[in-house]
Amino acid sequence: MTMAAKILVVDDEPAIRRLLEATLEHAGYRVVAAGTGREALNLIDIEKPDLVLLDLGLPDRDGLGLLPLIQAGGGTRAIVVSAREAVDDIIAALDLGAIDYITKPFDTAELLARIRAALRQQLASQAERRQVQSGELSIDLLDRRVLRGGSPVHLTPKEYGVLAALARHPGRVITHGQLLRTVWGPAQADHVEYLRIAVRGLRQKIEPDPARPRLVINEPGVGYRLEMEA
Amino acid sequence: MKPPGQPLARPPAPRAYAETLLMVAGVTALGLVAAPMLPASAMDLAYLVPVLAAASLHGLRCGVVASLASALAYNFFYTAPRYTFRIDDPGNVVTVLVLAGVALFTSRLTARIRDEAAFAAEQARQNAVLAGFAAQLAAADTSAHIGEALCREVAGLFGVNTLLLALAVETPPALLAAVPPRIQLPQGLEAEAAEAARASGLPGGRHTDMLRAADWQFHPLLAAGPAQAVLGLARDDGRPPIAEADRALLAGLLAQAALALERERLAGEMRDLAQLRERDRLRGALLSSVGHDLRTPLTAIFAATAALARTSATGPLIATLDSAARQLDRYIANLLDMTRIEAGAIRLNIQPLDLTDAVAAAVRELPPGQAPHIAVAADLPLVRLDPQLFHHCLINLLDNAAKHGGPEGDITITALREAGGMMLSVSDSGPGLPPGSETRVFETFNRLEGSDRSQGAGLGLSIVKGFAEAMGASVAARNRAGGGAAFDLHFPAALLVDLDGAEA
Repeated sequence: MTMAAKILVVDDEPAIRRLLEATLEHAGYRVVAAGTGREALNLIDIEKPDLVLLDLGLPDRDGLGLLPLIQAGGGTRAIVVSAREAVDDIIAALDLGAIDYITKPFDTAELLARIRAALRQQLASQAERRQVQSGELSIDLLDRRVLRGGSPVHLTPKEYGVLAALARHPGRVITHGQLLRTVWGPAQADHVEYLRIAVRGLRQKIEPDPARPRLVINEPGVGYRLEMEA
Repeated sequence: MKPPGQPLARPPAPRAYAETLLMVAGVTALGLVAAPMLPASAMDLAYLVPVLAAASLHGLRCGVVASLASALAYNFFYTAPRYTFRIDDPGNVVTVLVLAGVALFTSRLTARIRDEAAFAAEQARQNAVLAGFAAQLAAADTSAHIGEALCREVAGLFGVNTLLLALAVETPPALLAAVPPRIQLPQGLEAEAAEAARASGLPGGRHTDMLRAADWQFHPLLAAGPAQAVLGLARDDGRPPIAEADRALLAGLLAQAALALERERLAGEMRDLAQLRERDRLRGALLSSVGHDLRTPLTAIFAATAALARTSATGPLIATLDSAARQLDRYIANLLDMTRIEAGAIRLNIQPLDLTDAVAAAVRELPPGQAPHIAVAADLPLVRLDPQLFHHCLINLLDNAAKHGGPEGDITITALREAGGMMLSVSDSGPGLPPGSETRVFETFNRLEGSDRSQGAGLGLSIVKGFAEAMGASVAARNRAGGGAAFDLHFPAALLVDLDGAEA
């Protein structure tokens, strides 16, 4: 990375803005901050941030409504911050193109990890992703091949479909609806049970301990993510 | 309009018979005067005039009298030998009999037409009364106004004293209206008669089959369901309050008033419901704003703690701060959950869950270092639950097991098929539950006695119970044979998902 990534923090609470600015600057990012949706849109135009950290509870407008506007400005990515109960908002935000979410009150270490994952993904997606590696697992998205500790893993087409959909965006939550539409087709978007069974089968084949999954992680009521292990 | 209370087929007054006979006599006299100009045979038709007149004016009985009198008069004055009731000519016998027959027949017809006209007039009168009453009811917008309209109408129509009594099972009797207004709430026998009428749906009290010693006669107002009110009728002189002929009209009025009261009651319920909804909406808005307001400073505390950890060397203090903030976060979440349960404001988002997924997500939220034993087989059916609510159930059960689990803190999560469904159990190796407290632990704000380490407001387990029941599952606590407590979530078969259609 030749230049530190620039992050726009959008939160109406000055104390949180100050703390996030301090935390992110300390982690080596350049930070700009906005307290309202209008300010945020202006700063996106002027500053062209690499990532937006967007609190959905803004005073002047609905944070969900901002997401399409943020993306219209040159594909800027957004991580949304929301209350834990607002699962509907989280799913809507992810379906509107937010690349991740974090619930309030959040843990700073976790926030930094999500930001790193989001920025890494942005770099990677500029060059077409081919190989994804997490722990012992290696996924070749072009050859549709999955290796575990060097030996091939035989997945059903649906199991592979789910794993590939997760691996295309490592570390990022993919909603149930997105996974079902991608792998089973738009008509099956409500059949969460298909997805549950495919994930169950997948875990039997790729997790060291399927009862304690470390790779395919469930986000209750929202979706799944592929955890990136060193 | 004739005064009410007169039956349709009343017997004619003596005056009517006199008029009838007078008309027959008049025709006879005119016939005798005109006899030189008329043949005797014309007279038989002339006698039909008094018959028709008597039948149409005074009814069938007078018509019959007129017929017989005419036949006799014709026989006496016009058939040979005249001025006797003897008849010599057989042709004349036929004439007299035919005259009598025709007269009887026409008087019957005429009288029936008259009765039908009278009946139609009475129907029209009753309809006019009912329509007028309906108009009054449409204008009445409270049950007291409806009651006043009914009491006034019945009192005016039938000349009785009236009262309307509201009788509901859950509230004491109340006088909605009375005419004259000085009438008091019925007591003793009167109250019993009113209650009997309400309970049976039939008239009770004076001149009825129930409690006839009462002074008042009570009629229930029947709409949908049991009567909510009864109308009392009484006369100062103790005569029957309502004539047999007026019962239909009274029933019509009562039915209208009952419908109006029912309409008013439903409208009242709608108003209450709207109020309740508004209150719920306000409460929900308040809650989410409190949730937001409390979490914002908490987020600041987390971020500040992390910043401190980078810059300062007072590690143990920062760890305390961090764990206190986490506890506060859980309390806020529980408080919000509890308020949602008590407000009945749980919106379910049911989807099939894999218990492995749900358990793993809950275990991931435990503080580092806690590693429960997990015995959840990979081939169990999916369960239809709300993922968020179930997540909170598991977090609270794990939290409870960690608090009461004793020094070793061994926690085991087991899922099994059982008769009639499936069970998920969270058990610890602590001292167990005090005997007899197995249901009490789920009550709000109940902390187990004898546990000096107990923390929190004791909301956790009641949230587990509230959420489990909202999702159609149930929860029970027990002491394990080998020591320690176990909390079992039972999922009935109806919640389990048949996997035959799934494509993996």
